[in-house]
Amino acid sequence: MQLMSKTLVVCGALACAGLVHAADIKIGVAEALTGGAAQYGVTIRNGFQLAADEINAKGGINGNKIQLVIEDEQGKKEEGINVFKKLIFQDKVLMIFGPTLSNSMFAAGPVANAAKVVVFGTSNTANGITDIGPYVFRNSVMESDVLPVTVAAATKQYKLQKVAVIYGNDDAFTKSGYDVFKKVLEEQKLPVTTTETYVKGDVDFKAQLTKIKASAPDAVICSCLAEEAANIILQARGLGIKAPFIGGNGFNSPKLFEISKLAGDGTFVGSPWANTNPAPVNKAFVAEYQKKYNAEPNQFAAQAYDALYIAAAALKDVKLSGDLNADREALKNALPKVAINGVTGPFKFRPAKTKDGKPGGWDADQKPFIYVVQGGKFALHDAK
Amino acid sequence: MMDWLPGNFSDFWSTYSTLVFSVGVHALLALSIWLTLSCGLLSLANAAFMGIGAYVSALLTLHLEWSFGTVLLAGGIAPAVVALIIGAPVLRLSGVYLAMATLAFGEVVRITVLNLEITGGPEGLNGIPLATEGWHIALLLALTVYGLARLRRSKVGRAFEAIKEDEVAARLMGVDVDRYKLLAFVLGGFIAGIAGALNAHFTFFISPREYGFENAVDILTMAVLGGTSGLVGPMLGASILTLLPELLRSLHDFRSLVNGAILVLVVLFLPKGIWEPRRIRNWLNRNKGKPA
Amino acid sequence: MLEQQLLNALTLGSVYALFALGFTLVFGVLAVINLSHGAVFMVGSYAALALVTRLEAPLWAAMLGAMLVSGTLGLLVDMLILKPLRARNAPHLIPMIATIGVGIMLTSTAQGLFGAEILRFPDGILPAGEFVVGDVHVRALEIAIVAIAFVLMAVLFAVLKRTQLGRALRAIAESPKAAWLLGINVERLFHITSFAAAALGGIAGVLIGLNFNAITPQMGQPILHKGIAAIILGGMGDIRGALFGGLFLGFAEVISKAYLSSQMGDAVAFGLLFLILLVRPSGLFGRKLERKA
Repeated sequence: MQLMSKTLVVCGALACAGLVHAADIKIGVAEALTGGAAQYGVTIRNGFQLAADEINAKGGINGNKIQLVIEDEQGKKEEGINVFKKLIFQDKVLMIFGPTLSNSMFAAGPVANAAKVVVFGTSNTANGITDIGPYVFRNSVMESDVLPVTVAAATKQYKLQKVAVIYGNDDAFTKSGYDVFKKVLEEQKLPVTTTETYVKGDVDFKAQLTKIKASAPDAVICSCLAEEAANIILQARGLGIKAPFIGGNGFNSPKLFEISKLAGDGTFVGSPWANTNPAPVNKAFVAEYQKKYNAEPNQFAAQAYDALYIAAAALKDVKLSGDLNADREALKNALPKVAINGVTGPFKFRPAKTKDGKPGGWDADQKPFIYVVQGGKFALHDAK
Repeated sequence: MMDWLPGNFSDFWSTYSTLVFSVGVHALLALSIWLTLSCGLLSLANAAFMGIGAYVSALLTLHLEWSFGTVLLAGGIAPAVVALIIGAPVLRLSGVYLAMATLAFGEVVRITVLNLEITGGPEGLNGIPLATEGWHIALLLALTVYGLARLRRSKVGRAFEAIKEDEVAARLMGVDVDRYKLLAFVLGGFIAGIAGALNAHFTFFISPREYGFENAVDILTMAVLGGTSGLVGPMLGASILTLLPELLRSLHDFRSLVNGAILVLVVLFLPKGIWEPRRIRNWLNRNKGKPA
Repeated sequence: MLEQQLLNALTLGSVYALFALGFTLVFGVLAVINLSHGAVFMVGSYAALALVTRLEAPLWAAMLGAMLVSGTLGLLVDMLILKPLRARNAPHLIPMIATIGVGIMLTSTAQGLFGAEILRFPDGILPAGEFVVGDVHVRALEIAIVAIAFVLMAVLFAVLKRTQLGRALRAIAESPKAAWLLGINVERLFHITSFAAAALGGIAGVLIGLNFNAITPQMGQPILHKGIAAIILGGMGDIRGALFGGLFLGFAEVISKAYLSSQMGDAVAFGLLFLILLVRPSGLFGRKLERKA
């Protein structure tokens, strides 16, 4: 009773101020803010916060402010499920962004899908994510869209005859990247001299690299996360390997090449985003992020930033009725129609093809950029 | 005015059902390690046994579409068989060496799962259908507690106790030490496997990293934190360690710091675990002695 | 290729050995499996990094500072947590669980102070030299790491074998009660051991941090697993065993990656550990005598 009268008072006050229609749009953000995946989760959260602040500063969406409900899912599957349920049933958010890792998405995604709530992944590249169901969206570009183009461009540039491969075999992201590389190499008929693996947390790759060196490849293909990639490149050069690297999504970190300095020069990277992309939206994003967090943004922050703008574009066309279930459904129907030009370039969704023919979710339909590292910086590769 | 109550409750249950499920599964795991501890064995293979149970059951559900009951049973039997095979050589070890050998066994299991095709490697198995319901967990937990309570008071329980107190003396008294140790090890594996199978069928997804070193230590921590003198302790410890991170959610960035601190403080001030019947009895008696 | 691989194994093995030394020292003297040793290792890395970047200390000073910081941390853990538990005669698993809690606290504190992302030593701080003999490449840094690791281990051996302190420590390792009856100040030696072990862990952290130049709050976890494997291989509590176990593990890992398959690295390490324990139940150097803690 008391609660209700309080609500009435607040409503009254708001009505007097003429803001009766303005309400907060609650959006859940479930990312790994502690634990091993925190290094991605934290920058993803930053990307969302930056975008939300910008949108709210410009008056919100149709006058409604965005309110982010941020929760830590620790990169663990049970935590992912718990956080999703809390956001859906207790905080009653309109939609959820996250979680950080594909693993957590496989566990938590079905929860959101069953509750008919949009779940929007910004960093989940694994195959099968959008098989979960029609409420699953992602703007993270899959490796299978990026790598064929990257390998083809590098092959042409360096006239590659044979390549060596190294990847992390206990991580879903790097392993699925490797699977795609393997398929691409078979399709493009590029022989592999040796395939080497490492596990998460490894810092010493010299045993594998020594073997790669002995096999004398023309290039080294690397399905690795940025933090491992830096050490792999540096240690390769330390052992006297001169062949260029070809990397996937994980290589797309300006920091990586800042660290590896000239050692990383000549590396081919295919990715939806690079800090040096000269588009004005991207320049503004990089500058604002730097100002707000005193750190360079990375791909994860960029994709999160774009994701909120994608959701905002969809929400612009949704008339919020106040009936949560109807609004959630309306948002799900509005999202596939969105097309924006974000910091990761032109973006739209495409319906996912599922294995078993059930209605699936929505994948990113985006053309990757091919970059070559020059002088420790990403430069757009100019395909002649 | 009353109709918001059930609504609220159903929201509450929707939000926290997985958490409650996890408490039940963790309680089973803590009991599984309690069983080996009660026989004086410090075995850290339970996370691996849980993993074997989870994978076997999930694969049976996904590929052969067995009924949930048989799947659960298979999830318990598979690790029990593995325990039976490795038990004979491993259980010759004592103290920390047994702990470390079982830990190493766990790593070998994890790495094997990681490199197999059928287990999905590091990407794990996804799309496991939801089959576990609250009453499944409640019933199996109740059965386990009942079974273990009966066991404790039986001849087997007394043999465990004797081995734990003094292995040499027990042997001299004619207790077949090796057989009883093997029994505890295999039964522990069975319970952990069932817990794994239950867990796999309400989290939609399993991957090798859930059954590694940290998880083995987590299971041990639950049992020891709660107290290993009886059956209540491990279940209490499992509940606390599962619920604590959720209760501390409002602390945000300080959450794991406080989580660690609580662990240290409990250990420091309640070194025999939280549930220690003698201490609680003493405390009650002391309070009774005081005039009201 | 073989020469290069052997060299790779030597650097890896000597860092494992250095880490395992502190680990085994604590177990030998205090009879505690200190699972916060990995976190202490991580703290050593961050301490050196902070000294270098924030106070612009030279590298040698940063190394000493890191040893001091992590050593003090080890001392505090012993005084505030392990000592009260000893006084209360807690069952032997309890101190281990307390150290798990300490590890969690240290890791989250490091993340709070330094953030979750990978930090690195600034340029110019690392010795940059490189030697090329035939096809074998060696960085000056790697030589320095092996040298520092072996010098520290030699110092530790000398102290244990030749000094009054070492004799007292060995007496405690045999039996704390007997040592106490002999008039040895057991508590003081526990403190010294905790300090020294943590300092060794800390310097191992700096060396790894320098060599691979990647410092994160989670960096202690993988090496903790390897450290456990190393000291069991060698026999828990045995100093020679830790040295041997660390080196052996380094070689086993590198050789199996080089000549079997790189997927086998960890499987070989732990499979070997499992088998060795079955054949020699107290490790390769382990004594038959089991201390009941």
